[in-house]
Amino acid sequence: MPPGGGQQQNQDNKNKKDQAAQKKKWEPPLPTRVGKKKKRGPDTASKLPAVFPATRCRLRLLKMERIKDYLLMEEEFVQNQERMKPETTREEKNEEDRTKVDDLRGSPMAVGTLEEIIDDDHAIVSTASGPEYYVSIMSFVDKDRIEPGCQVLLHHKTQAVVGVLQDDADPMVSVMKLDKAPTESYADIGGLENQIQEIKESVELPLTHPELYEEMGIKPPKGVILYGVPGTGKTLLAKAVANQTSATFLRVVGSELIQKYLGDGPKLVRELFRVAEEHAPSIVFIDEIDAIGTKRYDSTSGGEREIQRTMLELLNQLDGFDTRGDVKVIMATNRIESLDPALIRPGRIDRKIEFPLPDVKTKRHIFRLHTSRMSLNEDVDLEEFVMAKDDLSGADIKAVCTEAGLLALRERRMRVTKADFTSAREKVLYRKNEGTPEGLYL
Amino acid sequence: MTSVPKPLKFLRPHYPDLQTLYDTWSASEDKSLFADILSVLAMTYSDTQPRGTLRYRLFSASMRPPSSPLSEPGSWGHEYVRHLAAELGEEYPIKMPGTIDDLKGLAAQCAKFFLGHNAEPDAVDLLEELEMVDRIAALVDENTYARVCAYMVRCVGLLPPPDDAAFLRTAHQIYIQFSKFPEALSLAIRLNDQELIQQDYNAPSNPLMKRQLAFLLARAQVPLEWLIPAGGADEEEVPSDLLECLSNSRLSTHFREFGKEVGVADPKSLEDVYKSHLENTRTGAAANVDSARGNLAGTFVNAFVNAGFGNDKLMVEAEEGNSWIYKNKEHGMLSAAASLGLSLLWDTDVGLSHVDKYTYSSEEYIKAGALLATGLLNTNVLTEADAALALLSEYVDNKSVPLRTSAIMGLGLAYAGSHREDLIYVLLPAVADESLSMEVASLSALALGFVFVGSANGEISSTILQTLMERDDKALSEKWGRFMVLGLAFLFIGRTEASDATMETLKVIEHPIAKQAQVIVEACSCAGTGDVLKVQAMLHYCGEHLDASKEKDAEDKDENKDENKDEKKEEPKDDTFQAFAVLGISLIAMGEDIGSDMSSRQLNHLMHYGDPIIRKTVPLALGLVSASNPQLPILDTLSKYSHDNDLQVALNAIFAMGLVGAGTNNARLAQMLRQLAGYYYKEPDCLFMVRIAQGLVHMGKGTIGINPFFSDRSIMSRTAVAGLLATLTAFTDAKAFVLDKYHWMLYFLVTAMYPRFLITLDENLNNAPVTVRVGQAVDVVGQAGKPRTISGFQTHQTPVRLGTTERAELATEEFIPFGHVLEGFVILQKNPGWEKEDTMQA
Repeated sequence: MPPGGGQQQNQDNKNKKDQAAQKKKWEPPLPTRVGKKKKRGPDTASKLPAVFPATRCRLRLLKMERIKDYLLMEEEFVQNQERMKPETTREEKNEEDRTKVDDLRGSPMAVGTLEEIIDDDHAIVSTASGPEYYVSIMSFVDKDRIEPGCQVLLHHKTQAVVGVLQDDADPMVSVMKLDKAPTESYADIGGLENQIQEIKESVELPLTHPELYEEMGIKPPKGVILYGVPGTGKTLLAKAVANQTSATFLRVVGSELIQKYLGDGPKLVRELFRVAEEHAPSIVFIDEIDAIGTKRYDSTSGGEREIQRTMLELLNQLDGFDTRGDVKVIMATNRIESLDPALIRPGRIDRKIEFPLPDVKTKRHIFRLHTSRMSLNEDVDLEEFVMAKDDLSGADIKAVCTEAGLLALRERRMRVTKADFTSAREKVLYRKNEGTPEGLYL
Repeated sequence: MTSVPKPLKFLRPHYPDLQTLYDTWSASEDKSLFADILSVLAMTYSDTQPRGTLRYRLFSASMRPPSSPLSEPGSWGHEYVRHLAAELGEEYPIKMPGTIDDLKGLAAQCAKFFLGHNAEPDAVDLLEELEMVDRIAALVDENTYARVCAYMVRCVGLLPPPDDAAFLRTAHQIYIQFSKFPEALSLAIRLNDQELIQQDYNAPSNPLMKRQLAFLLARAQVPLEWLIPAGGADEEEVPSDLLECLSNSRLSTHFREFGKEVGVADPKSLEDVYKSHLENTRTGAAANVDSARGNLAGTFVNAFVNAGFGNDKLMVEAEEGNSWIYKNKEHGMLSAAASLGLSLLWDTDVGLSHVDKYTYSSEEYIKAGALLATGLLNTNVLTEADAALALLSEYVDNKSVPLRTSAIMGLGLAYAGSHREDLIYVLLPAVADESLSMEVASLSALALGFVFVGSANGEISSTILQTLMERDDKALSEKWGRFMVLGLAFLFIGRTEASDATMETLKVIEHPIAKQAQVIVEACSCAGTGDVLKVQAMLHYCGEHLDASKEKDAEDKDENKDENKDEKKEEPKDDTFQAFAVLGISLIAMGEDIGSDMSSRQLNHLMHYGDPIIRKTVPLALGLVSASNPQLPILDTLSKYSHDNDLQVALNAIFAMGLVGAGTNNARLAQMLRQLAGYYYKEPDCLFMVRIAQGLVHMGKGTIGINPFFSDRSIMSRTAVAGLLATLTAFTDAKAFVLDKYHWMLYFLVTAMYPRFLITLDENLNNAPVTVRVGQAVDVVGQAGKPRTISGFQTHQTPVRLGTTERAELATEEFIPFGHVLEGFVILQKNPGWEKEDTMQA
């Protein structure tokens, strides 16, 4: 806008200029709706209203019933209308439309990636062969499903976008989903009553009975970490949780999150949590978290830094800006002291559950569990082993039992004798302490 | 989760044996104790032997001597009481052992325990299941009553008819018990119970509290006669300051002060609203296609945007002879003159003098407009002088149709909701007079509907019914018929039970208008109740396909085709009832969150399957259900509809966008409308509507809303609903009314217009600025502890404006408000226990 010329301009003109200058106040254009990353989940139009309070009470029931009534009415109305519609014309028309669309699409179709949406009917796409194209989007393509980065079908000649491929989650993540529940249940765990209680409170109950926490006025814990010396049943407990729950159970090993290429690890973490949220309620179990969760330190190695970035992404997913819905996290590690303090702070991991070496009572229980299906000789007195002051973990006890069985097998005996057990115990204890120089520096 | 006491764990396997042992014992005090233990044990057997807990409990209680009654159930722990309560709920319908009194007594004990342990919802649920919810009033104490009442009130919208009134009355009783008069009064207003309102109003002795109540009553537009019993002697007892509060007469001054405070007092020009430099119209072609239309739109935009401030540049402040009126022609002049009324809204003193000069105009239309303006500016306020009645009544019998209709509507709007008996004699003759045109008769009926909204007045309803029976078919088939039935329906807004007789009478009338009347009366009488069955009935009306049935008829009656043709000619008018049915859905569903959310889904289906008339009305219904409440999904939907192939649908969608955003200054909506202005620059009708929608969005420069619910969206204002509905009815056939000569019908919205402010007043009713927090309202009913009632708040100094879904709370503890909801006028009192923080340090 050129500045006003001064004298020759009369008052009127000046006023206009002023007004024009005022009017030109820039207002940011509002973004168009298409081409944005949308939040996953059901469409806003078909979403049902949220029901408050979450407490179990009649008000909630009434509200739920009201929603149900409306849905029933909807169903009735739609059914009636569908019935009244002259049927033949509809089907024929659909058929016709479909063939027409198929014709327009042509075949074969190329698959490309949508890089950017320019406006409502143009976009930039790239294909595996290399170049990027500026192409038009056909009008019959569902605009709501188009978003940057999705897979699209391209016409073989004009390269126009003729369809969208429903992009599924990373195949890596779908592997993590547990289809077959493990056979171990809580009954297979000897002892660990407190630990079971704690994990139930913080992982299972929030998913099945959220109202209990609401009534109490607290937020249910987001996740737990299981730690303790090897062989104390951390993974076993996680398996039992997976066996028991009806929630989606995703399991990963920390080392899986370390990827070859830069940025792949954090991406996998994101995908993992996205899938978890899509299938909510769900439980994510990350075993051997110390693979990526060690304390941060200045490192020059690119690999180290990438691992740390993966952990940072995990931190963000656990307690970041976006709220996680019904996703609970279980982590397991042997070395809690080496983990980054940020990872296990309350808010990310609200409960730390320690798995100690079994005490006498638990040991007895574990021995009984493992020997219950073995045929033992009369002279075997398990109490002797239970009362012995050895540092035996649950896994060691299992090893002792198996070893004793193997020894008996070697001699083709049908029963396991006390001698078998004694030598098996010695063997196991010897192996266990093999690495450590005994009392040398003490 | 159950933590069963250790000893009982050991007893559990022996439960069956214990049962047999129990049967062998003879009745004694010991046996009673035994029964008590069995009752606890039965908790673990509830799946195989249901209701054992309750049975043994009752046995146990029956065997105690009256001198030493059984210990409280609470002594067995929380879980036990819960169990007992659940079984009581199951038991009550079956009625096994013991009398109902025993059950009720036990329930009362359990409820008491619940109330003492922060489980108010459980207590209410239990008592409600045993149909004795009225007894909760005796159990609550000052710690629990608020939560109990909040829970009960929230349940009301979801309960079937007799229960909901019972809940309201019980909650009312509790509030009275704890002398929470504003809360009690608002419930009484919801009940629409004259006696109760009067009682509550007279209950407090504190004059300040009484004023606060008066403000609430004025907002609800409760007729003065309800509070002050008839008879001249009593009238003098009402102090003048109280009367001032009751009649809203300081609304205008407060509103203007509020405008100054929030910095919107300066008038806005049309261009400020249109911001046409931001529209991307193609230059050159964009020359004004229809300047008359443009000017007319300007009239309305100016009126709505500057409403209530009385300082707009086009009309009030215009120089002599240079007024915007003369830029319009004929009927345009009517609306232009009437826009004065909106601009000077609520200002009964200065306003009348401004309007006065036009009443002497020789131009008939200007004069008519001035009459309407007189009516408009008296809306929602009462004056002692009764100027509107005095000025307008002489024109009610005028020969000229514009003068006459304007005077009639002016009266209707000015006295909306006042239930003034003397207006019957002024207006009713016109309804009954068959020699008058349908236009005058219908508008008279409508005006009466406004005045007697929700009164179920027998005299008026019978007269309208009489007219519907006696008028010849042709007259009734005119487009004006719908306003006649609308007037009838207004009488029954919110009176579910009172409309039955009228409905029966309507069934007898053969003319198709009777069906319209049935639908709209049914819808109005259930307005805001959320009654699902009624919504279903409305959906059934919408589900009928008139074309389809016509085709069938045609096949059946091949031989007498001539008759068919006659029918076909008539039939297009028949489907107006479907339009009413669509409006009815949202009318019934609004005011209750779930219903209004779900109703938009229903409307979506209607749009998909419906006939043109239904499609046309769906946007209007969407506008009604979320008036002044622009939520994104609704805006998206309306934006989609506004590009519909059917121009009528698009037109109504654009208007609905205006309604949804009315008085919010919503930037996204404004942007959408600017886009539409570019899109429809060649369609004068649509462009006209876009302009009006823009005017609505900036209504009162963002200070006036039209949502019919107030006091934390709990009370429905009947006059507001009537105003909205009347406007929407005019849009059911926009071509015949709003786009024709009757655009002044847009002024029907005035009864719904009310400032969205919060003004705090001191003891002398002067502005008392305090800091308040304003944020999105959060539903905290039934939650544990004391959760925050607002989220994402900002702190402001009063006066502040509040959005439809916003709530305010005081940020300081220096004052105690008299009102329970911080909205509109709130009187504050110094908190005697408050100490300044810095004095503590000193």
